[in-house]
Amino acid sequence: MKINSILIANRGEIAIRIIRTAKKMGIRSYAIKTSKEPNAWYLEEADEIIDFSECFDDTPEFLDIERIIYNAKEHKVDAIHPGYGFLAENPDFARRCEEEDIVFIGPSHDAIYRMGNKTIAKELAKKNKVPLLGGSKGTVADPEEAKQIADQVGYPVILKAAAGGGGRGMRVVEKEKDIERMFNLATNEAEKAFNNPAVFIEKFVREPRHIEFQILGDKHGNVVHLGERECSIQRKHQKLLEESPSPALDPALRKKMGDAAIRIAKSVNYFSAGTVEFLLDDQNYFSFMEMNTRIQVEHPVTEMVTGIDLIEQMILIAEGKKLPFSQDDIKLNGWAIEWRINAEDVQSGFSPSLGTIEKISWPESDHIRVDTGVRDGSVITPYYDSMIAKLIIHAETREKALQQSSIAIRKFWIKGTKTTLAFCRAVLQNRNFRKGKFNTSFLSKELKIHYHHEPDEELLAAFFAAYDYAREVHEHEDKPLYVEKGKEIAPWLLNKRLR
Amino acid sequence: MAREVKKKKSTKLIALSSANKAYEFNKPLEKSIKYQGKKVDIKLREDPNGFSYIVWKNKKYMLDVIEKNQNRYTIMINGVWHSFTVETPISLKRRRFLEQQGESSSVVSIEAPMPGKIIDLLVEEGAEVKQGEPIIILEAMKMQNEISSHVTGVVQSISVKKNDSVMKDDVLLYIRKG
Repeated sequence: MKINSILIANRGEIAIRIIRTAKKMGIRSYAIKTSKEPNAWYLEEADEIIDFSECFDDTPEFLDIERIIYNAKEHKVDAIHPGYGFLAENPDFARRCEEEDIVFIGPSHDAIYRMGNKTIAKELAKKNKVPLLGGSKGTVADPEEAKQIADQVGYPVILKAAAGGGGRGMRVVEKEKDIERMFNLATNEAEKAFNNPAVFIEKFVREPRHIEFQILGDKHGNVVHLGERECSIQRKHQKLLEESPSPALDPALRKKMGDAAIRIAKSVNYFSAGTVEFLLDDQNYFSFMEMNTRIQVEHPVTEMVTGIDLIEQMILIAEGKKLPFSQDDIKLNGWAIEWRINAEDVQSGFSPSLGTIEKISWPESDHIRVDTGVRDGSVITPYYDSMIAKLIIHAETREKALQQSSIAIRKFWIKGTKTTLAFCRAVLQNRNFRKGKFNTSFLSKELKIHYHHEPDEELLAAFFAAYDYAREVHEHEDKPLYVEKGKEIAPWLLNKRLR
Repeated sequence: MAREVKKKKSTKLIALSSANKAYEFNKPLEKSIKYQGKKVDIKLREDPNGFSYIVWKNKKYMLDVIEKNQNRYTIMINGVWHSFTVETPISLKRRRFLEQQGESSSVVSIEAPMPGKIIDLLVEEGAEVKQGEPIIILEAMKMQNEISSHVTGVVQSISVKKNDSVMKDDVLLYIRKG
């Protein structure tokens, strides 16, 4: 079935990203407007806007399955793309779309359900001879049971939300005395984030790499992988930058892991784009972590090295088309790195930094791709995640990609909010990062200072503070001492005059 | 004539960093810095997009004023912020004097590092806490964050309760050091 119109059940940069491919394919795009960001850029990029400004209950707009379905039918759209987050991995949403004859641009609800349930996913991995970590068979009922299993597999262990993803509901427990508190934290967070408090427990591999494989499958049983993404640079299980390929993999290991990823995907008759995540230890042993049944934030690095538009493939697969390439056709060309630029204060423990993006600009070149949902005047709200933009650099080699990154980051200017750009600079300065020697403990152990500044920068900042102060004092110096009514004079200025 | 002399005297300013490093500028309005014994010019510029930047030794440094409140400044240079108080030689002297007097105070406040909602209080008034011990769970941006004490002491008072929403820098509780 040819798709002529798509409703995007998402916002921000991913909505704009999907619209871009829809335009290229001659597909009409529909975006959802919310009262939380009525002037957001993605709304202008869409062909049509569906207004969700009026709220009828507390259900967040992008999680309101029935409202989205109702409006999709009302506007007679052919298909829905869920993007990432929100309803992207909600099997009920995919099922409701199927029931209402709306094409869900993603996998089947059955595949989402089985991969979303970590217990079932692990059983499938085991059945298909994909290596796994020790831990609980299913979900853990209470802190007592957690304690028992932890004793069996040995500390440290990790508690993970059964319905989880994106680092939420995840806690590492180092010692027995912490397990009860951590169990409660993890279940609380899981309940909040996924409406499901269930957690399971597994052996925690200290300092592994996080490697994931991009999968594409069609509705005719063909599955290929598009190489790996290196996602080890994380903070509290949130990825901060990703590369493709990974400095840790050689062709033989890539083939082994890629084949395992394909076996996992085939075990649920997977179609659409998906990602199989693995842990890789320092002996190059890998174990299956989970499968994400959606497009990922970091998909652009794969697009850059393979030259394949993943959103386009998702749409074509949803239409029932066969994959236009086989595994042998997939070639990884050069090196790509994605730097996530978040509105966070790196100097205060990555705390969220709200406010208005007064100005944003970046250098343009053939090496550089920027995916963003903000522009001058955009507001960073507390309602959504803190990502402002993704800076993607593509070059022939890793060395060149890092070199280009340094230049681009220095010229990526954002005014009005604190960002993680200074963190990116710190990573680029690190010798072991440059050598490709790092793992998930990079932030906590290797990178001592999470932001980088050149020696003279504090001096320049100090100068500007003094200059600005002197200028204000100077401007006020020749004015009369008395204060006009309604015009307050700064107390420090008054003190100075009284002195 | 006398007035001019007086004016000259008052042009010296000191930018005091949060780590107590003092940067002295004799004539800040002249836009130059004494650097390794030499006078180096500073250019302040604005580009067509409306960004301000400093040109220093032929390199561009993007500039943004994050906070400006009386003599307190937070200036961002190339994405890293630096906080200062700008002092005259006299006010700096007074400040140092006051700081010496204030050191006897032993009650410290724990503030919210980010806006969010209080999910749980892990301590009660009168409880002993160790440095690094988690005391409050704050939910922000969909993550639960443990706030820990940066001092060892006794909880003197708690300013928030479960389910309260707090802003960044709101005081959560006070701890008496010791």
